[in-house]
Amino acid sequence: MSDMTVAKGMNQRRPAKRKAVSLANRLSPYAFVGPAIIVLFIALIIPLGYMIYGSMLDWTASQSIEEADFIGLKNYTDLWNDPRFMKSVSVTLRFAFIVVVVELIVGVGLALLLDRDIKGMTFLRTMFILPMMIAPVVVGLMWRFMYHPSDGTFNRFLEKIGLPSVDWLGEHALMSVIIADIWQWTPFIFILALAALQSLPRSTLEAARIDGASPWQQIIYIKLPLMMPVLIVTALLRLIDAFKVLEVILVLTDGGPGQETQILSHRINETMTEVRHLGEAAAMANYLLILLMALTLGMLGFNRWQENRTARIRAAAEEDV
Amino acid sequence: MSHATQKQNPAFYAVIALLVFMSVGPVLLMFVNSFKLDVDILSGTSGLLFFPTIQNYETALCDILWYEPDHLRFCQLKFGGAFVNSLTIAIISTILTLVIGAMAAYGLVRFRFLGRDTVSTTTLLVRMVPPAVLLVPVFGLWNNQFCLDQNGLLGGWIKDIFGGRGDPCLAGTHSGIILIYVAMNLPFVIWILQSFIVQVPRSLEEAARVDGAGPFQVFFMVVLPLIKPGLAAAAIFTFRIAWNEYLLASALSDRDTKTVPILIVNNMSEFNVEWGVIMATGMLLAIPPIIFTLLASRQIITGMTAGAVKG
Amino acid sequence: MLKTMTYASFGAALMATTAIANPYSEYEGTTLVVNFPAHPHYDAVMQILPEFTAQTGIEVEVDQLPYLAMRERQTLELGQDEGEYDLVAYVVFSKADYVYADQLENLAKYFMNPNLADPSYDADDLIDGYVYNIGFAGGSRGYLEGKTGSLFGIPYGSETSVLGYRTDIFEKHGLEVPETYEEMLELACQIPALEPGMGGLASRAASGHHAAHAFLLHLNPLGGAIFDDNWEPVMNSAEGVAAAEALKQIVECGPEGAVNFGFGEALGSFLNGDTAMYLDTTVVAGQVNDPERSQVVGNVGWALHPMGTERASQTGGFGIGIPSNAENKEAAFLLMQWLTSREGDKLVALAGGNPSRFSTHADPDVNAAFPHMATFGEALQYADPDWRPIIPTWGRINADLGTTLSEVLTQELDIQEALDGVAERARAAMDEAGYYSWQ
Repeated sequence: MSDMTVAKGMNQRRPAKRKAVSLANRLSPYAFVGPAIIVLFIALIIPLGYMIYGSMLDWTASQSIEEADFIGLKNYTDLWNDPRFMKSVSVTLRFAFIVVVVELIVGVGLALLLDRDIKGMTFLRTMFILPMMIAPVVVGLMWRFMYHPSDGTFNRFLEKIGLPSVDWLGEHALMSVIIADIWQWTPFIFILALAALQSLPRSTLEAARIDGASPWQQIIYIKLPLMMPVLIVTALLRLIDAFKVLEVILVLTDGGPGQETQILSHRINETMTEVRHLGEAAAMANYLLILLMALTLGMLGFNRWQENRTARIRAAAEEDV
Repeated sequence: MSHATQKQNPAFYAVIALLVFMSVGPVLLMFVNSFKLDVDILSGTSGLLFFPTIQNYETALCDILWYEPDHLRFCQLKFGGAFVNSLTIAIISTILTLVIGAMAAYGLVRFRFLGRDTVSTTTLLVRMVPPAVLLVPVFGLWNNQFCLDQNGLLGGWIKDIFGGRGDPCLAGTHSGIILIYVAMNLPFVIWILQSFIVQVPRSLEEAARVDGAGPFQVFFMVVLPLIKPGLAAAAIFTFRIAWNEYLLASALSDRDTKTVPILIVNNMSEFNVEWGVIMATGMLLAIPPIIFTLLASRQIITGMTAGAVKG
Repeated sequence: MLKTMTYASFGAALMATTAIANPYSEYEGTTLVVNFPAHPHYDAVMQILPEFTAQTGIEVEVDQLPYLAMRERQTLELGQDEGEYDLVAYVVFSKADYVYADQLENLAKYFMNPNLADPSYDADDLIDGYVYNIGFAGGSRGYLEGKTGSLFGIPYGSETSVLGYRTDIFEKHGLEVPETYEEMLELACQIPALEPGMGGLASRAASGHHAAHAFLLHLNPLGGAIFDDNWEPVMNSAEGVAAAEALKQIVECGPEGAVNFGFGEALGSFLNGDTAMYLDTTVVAGQVNDPERSQVVGNVGWALHPMGTERASQTGGFGIGIPSNAENKEAAFLLMQWLTSREGDKLVALAGGNPSRFSTHADPDVNAAFPHMATFGEALQYADPDWRPIIPTWGRINADLGTTLSEVLTQELDIQEALDGVAERARAAMDEAGYYSWQ
């Protein structure tokens, strides 16, 4: 406190000092943002540049990057023509798409269903967070145990009620991996959708009710369109995360059987550690990044368009009142 | 369909109970199995009729127990050490991320560098980078490029203190893993905290300014205390990622800096699938997140919604 | 208890011989950092290391990793100017990578050094197939025995394949232990009919190196090979197709979920009593009679890997070598020599490891403790050093083979077509690596 008064006093008495202070003030934005920029530069930008350079090298794990030969875009063209790589691109897209769609439907559905004052909601929300907080590695091992062909929880249960057992991680590997992800991440969408629902303008809903809109009509014509911006951001976040999933699959199926569950992240890891071709792994990582970038920008564009539309709907709805 | 009229339809309670069971069930299963011997886990006598044993936990924690469990021939799992590593890395990287992230969020919001939309889009794009993409470059850089000459002043000094062979590099150190975690979490933290900082009334800051406080004093004394809920939420999310991450840690750590997820995956090696011990280690890893969930679910939900709804 | 007594007496015996002129004294107090896999043999090694320290005063710090992680770690450490590790255990197929990159010490200079080399080492007692398979490089085809080669490592924790079977089940139904592939395949599919719920033969089959390994297990005995003498891929020959068919049949008649079994699951299903036979590495013998792990204690018999057109069992496992960038190479050699000496080999065998010496397989104490040792010793004669190619390109071909075979097992892929694809891609990889530049 005394420092402050002193500073104040100086400001008033010595105009020369004021210049220095205002210079400090002008520099302070950089001082605030600087550390973050430095960290991001060292640990994200440089690595990304290094990766782009590395992806143009014939670079194996036993070589240092200086020893590797420059081969231009050969890694990229090789991958483009590699059916195995393409297969894993398609697995990645299928996984991400199914996961996001199912989670959206289930999560939003549950939110619409449970958007009411029921005791126990707080408890449900707390318990619902649990799967998200637990390490993917642990999620993987829990599900691996439950999917175990003979000793796992699911097949034991099926056996007990007299149904044939299911070859979870064999025949239905991708589905099983998807189920585990749905278990872990549907709550995320549920909680966000619920928050969005509860922040909807009450007056609009009330007006619709008085006008005699059925519950379904309310959902389809009012609630969903108004929630749309939040839902799109949520879907985008989930989509990004769906591309990051690796540990669960690593523990659950290790990409198998065949390439059924080999998402790109897994193939990158395999190329780096087992095939030991770093250049090719870097090129793959670049493809993955480009793919994700295209999807994200596409969704952001869609979001902007949607936002304008919602604004119009909201305005129209409020005019009606 | 009104909120007041629909009071107690038992069907909704059933739905809620079912959902709770579904989300907690697997965790409970892991908890119960971690107290069973492998023979009991696999023999098919499911349910709660078994003799609970802490043997699995003894196996996992053998390096920090004060006695030698007699079922072990030697202590293979060094869980205690890995736990300490995980804690160190997660806590330090959380603190660093919060401080750096809050400063950046404040700078971006108050000084209007770029439009808020641009910031959101950029942070989102940076946040998009999957860990697997960073795997190759981070592995290469941390091991070969981000090194100090061992004959140089600083390099020699580090080597004297920490030992080791060859040039001291970022790889294999706690700092190396912390650096990448801070970078990975920053965009998210900036994104969340922005939405909280926007709500801090400028008049408060201006009052402090008038009293002569510099920008940093304003930030630390006025702004930070006001965004505590946001900080708590961001802290939990950052900690969660740093605590749970496997891929990059496994590429960057050496035998002294292994974290718990690495240990768990390693222990699932192909030669012995010991479910009991695996479940026990999984349970130990899950304890901090479970505690957070139970104690701070409100902050977590705030953080999640702040990220999406207000971002 | 009995075991510790035996160790103690061995220790005493060794002490007596070393006390006269102690070659270890110069290195007393040194701490060696070694990198071992998480593997039953090396778990046994962990138990005998305190004995080494007691005898020599050399401390050993072990970094144990699952073997793929270990390989990754070593790739990194061996590539540095100065490495952390003084002694590494390497997977047999790493031999090619490490020797090619000049990362392992040639052992000649140590065996020539009278201060280091123990005259009673008796190198001839080491099992030939393993020495050439794991330790030797530079001979014919680059990785086999030959006049141009030399020694870079010593086999330690070496394995071959044997057939384990449930004596109780075989007795109950009056079954004969299969001698040939035909008998084995027939029996494998007969068992699920005789014992409902029980699988015939446990095999690994999961995508990746598991499936590739299972395929290789049948490839040589059925007369096939990966490459011909000119490095042309021939895994798509009629014999290769037969091996894949055998694998497919085994998995189909195997226990529930067999398509997705890694080694651990396959072994687990045998130990759990879900499968009547087991055809894989000898490394499991120690666990079969461990009541904590196994439900089939006392009910397992062992036989040779059945014969196809020839007898050819697996050569695999690990060797130990000294990295070129190690700090304490001489002390590391002393540890290596101690571990693989007659005494060390016997100690580790008694602790449940896989011996690498003829004498240990014949040793009465070892045979008394592990009656299957005799069969294993016999199996060794048929261990095929050219069981799989040990060349740097193998990593890529192996990954492709493993994925493709898993597709064969899970999707109705035509075997011939699938293997043709593998061969074509293998040829491209080999071409790129320069294997055809002399043709």
